Amino acid sequence: MAISVKLVRRPEAARSSYLRAALKGMSLTFRHMVNPRKVTRSYPEEPTELHARWRGTHRMEVHADGRPKCVACGLCPTVCPANCIRLVGGEDDQGNRYPIVYEIDEFRCIFCGMCQEVCPVEAIHVGQHFENAEYTRERFVYDLDRLMEQEHPVTALWDPSDPASE
Amino acid sequence: MSTVTLTIDGRQVTVPEGTSLLHAAQEIGVEVPHYCYHPALSAPAQCRLCLVDVEGAPKPMPSCVTQAQDGQVVRTDDGLAREMRKGVLEFYLINHPLDCPICDQSGECKLQDYVHSEGRAHGRGIEPKRVFGRDDFGGDVLFYGDRCVMCTRCVRFMEEMAQDPVLTVVERGDRAVIDTFFEQGLRDSPYAGNIVDICPVGALVSKDFLHKARAWDLDHTPSVCPNCSQGCNIDIHTRDNVVHRLKPRENPEVNGHWMCDYGRGRYEWMNRGDRIEEPFVRGDGGWSAPGWHAALASLRERLEACRGPVRAVAAAHASNEDLAALRELMDRLGGGDIVYRSPRAPDEVPLPGFPVLTRRRDLAPNTRGAELLGLRRVGSDDATGGLEEVAAGAGALIALADELADQPEDFGSRAELFVYLGAHPAPAARSAHFVLPVTTFAEQEGTFTSVQTRVQRFEPALRAAGHAQPAWQVLGSLAASLAGRPAPASASEVFDRLAAGVPEYEGLSYDRIGARGTAVDRPAALAGER
Repeated sequence: MAISVKLVRRPEAARSSYLRAALKGMSLTFRHMVNPRKVTRSYPEEPTELHARWRGTHRMEVHADGRPKCVACGLCPTVCPANCIRLVGGEDDQGNRYPIVYEIDEFRCIFCGMCQEVCPVEAIHVGQHFENAEYTRERFVYDLDRLMEQEHPVTALWDPSDPASE
Repeated sequence: MSTVTLTIDGRQVTVPEGTSLLHAAQEIGVEVPHYCYHPALSAPAQCRLCLVDVEGAPKPMPSCVTQAQDGQVVRTDDGLAREMRKGVLEFYLINHPLDCPICDQSGECKLQDYVHSEGRAHGRGIEPKRVFGRDDFGGDVLFYGDRCVMCTRCVRFMEEMAQDPVLTVVERGDRAVIDTFFEQGLRDSPYAGNIVDICPVGALVSKDFLHKARAWDLDHTPSVCPNCSQGCNIDIHTRDNVVHRLKPRENPEVNGHWMCDYGRGRYEWMNRGDRIEEPFVRGDGGWSAPGWHAALASLRERLEACRGPVRAVAAAHASNEDLAALRELMDRLGGGDIVYRSPRAPDEVPLPGFPVLTRRRDLAPNTRGAELLGLRRVGSDDATGGLEEVAAGAGALIALADELADQPEDFGSRAELFVYLGAHPAPAARSAHFVLPVTTFAEQEGTFTSVQTRVQRFEPALRAAGHAQPAWQVLGSLAASLAGRPAPASASEVFDRLAAGVPEYEGLSYDRIGARGTAVDRPAALAGER
């Protein structure tokens, strides 16, 4: 195969000059100097605003008398794709079905929110929360008491400002 | 027998005269929803759910009691039949609490199934539902009146099968509820647990199983009840390697659809955590755990060197394969007496409506199998005593699956070689030279021979504990290595050798025994039929 030569013409000075791009960039810079639009947040002093449907670590809703709302129906461990929920059901002294053991491994959790969607009594929720630093890995397995103690707002299943998302 | 040919859902089916439409539909794989009808009970046709559209009939017919006629045209799945079922199901849900999340029947509930497949998506009721709460029927049975669909299967079971009519329907209309007379409960009726099985909804639930596991999480393993020599066919329901309940598996020749509460309630021992998990060898320096290979090699050496007579004590809880392997090893070592002990109840407890099913006196599942292998029963009715003769002499002593609970701690100390094969640690095995872990019946494949001389297979429901192996594998490989044969690879291979040696089992194999067992008093040529 013969070698062919293609001649490439150098672009004209008007096109190859960096001057035009530099001026364009500088114009943006000066525009921001005149009219500053702040994008940097001073996190963590200023907390981040989370969307209504943000799915973070879980929270268990409680009744007014302090009992968990969970009835140990077993749907969340069944639906959980990451298999991160451990549930042992039992009966309390008033004859109500309740979870003796309810543990969520937040490390295994993929935060799909299906546990919240499937829950027939709106007990388990994913929450608007993501700051989860701990000193040990074991602390990331949230037991029932820990889940009930959580105070962060829970996730909305759809965006209230966007009715079409329902 | 004369037959009739009819058309169901556009398909022709020929059935014997007198067959109900429901059965005829089952013949071609069409399941007509029903509650009150149960194949083993009378059909009152009161649930109104099995209504089908019969051409020419003035109104919908209950398929469970309508006999198939020649040339009939039946539709179970068209608009009218579906519309009727939808309406009936809506009536059922008027007072049903829909507490599926906390109901134990959820996942195996017929109301759930039918409403999901054919019912309305949303209820239209606006009136408050009536509430009964729950009632303790005694025994293992708990009654949730709100969930009841009034099929009266339980009432008819107690009347027709248990023949102990302690249940009835009280009140009328929407206040109608199943109840016992004067709060007497089920009075410990020995077969009452079956009403939990036949209840199509969650109205009757087992106290023992209450809130323990969800139905869809349970694995079902076909097995044979190990609690008496009747050999009821059962399913072992397990979850995460734990047995949660035993349920009867239909076998018209042994247990019908039923099993007794005695057998149903005795499964906790399968979950026992105190297990021998490693083969242990006692040498000069005390106990060591050298692993199976070394332990069996040294046991083989010791067996070959042992001069005295060989004796063995087994339990009738061991499978035919285990006992056959023991027999073969004994024969290889020069033959010797094998004795077994098994508990025996003072009386039998038959199910009056189906007397074939009886809680037998022999409370071990394989006493007939042990007898056929030439084992000799010793000891008293509570499976104690009777081992003086075996323990006395020198020579080798093998104990298989008998925990020797009544024996002194120096049991077997006179024997030159004492081998203990068991699942659980036994204090009386302290002077054993070899303690070998074997699996329980729930962890291995095998067969039991029931009191009807019926060979029935069971399958492993649990994982073996630690390094435990089935006894047939341990004893079979020892016998095989003494004979210079390759070790048996499967339980069915051991059974084939057994079948060749015992005339009653002639011609049998695992394939021919099948899922429901084979009675061996029949000619071998017929044995494969079920």
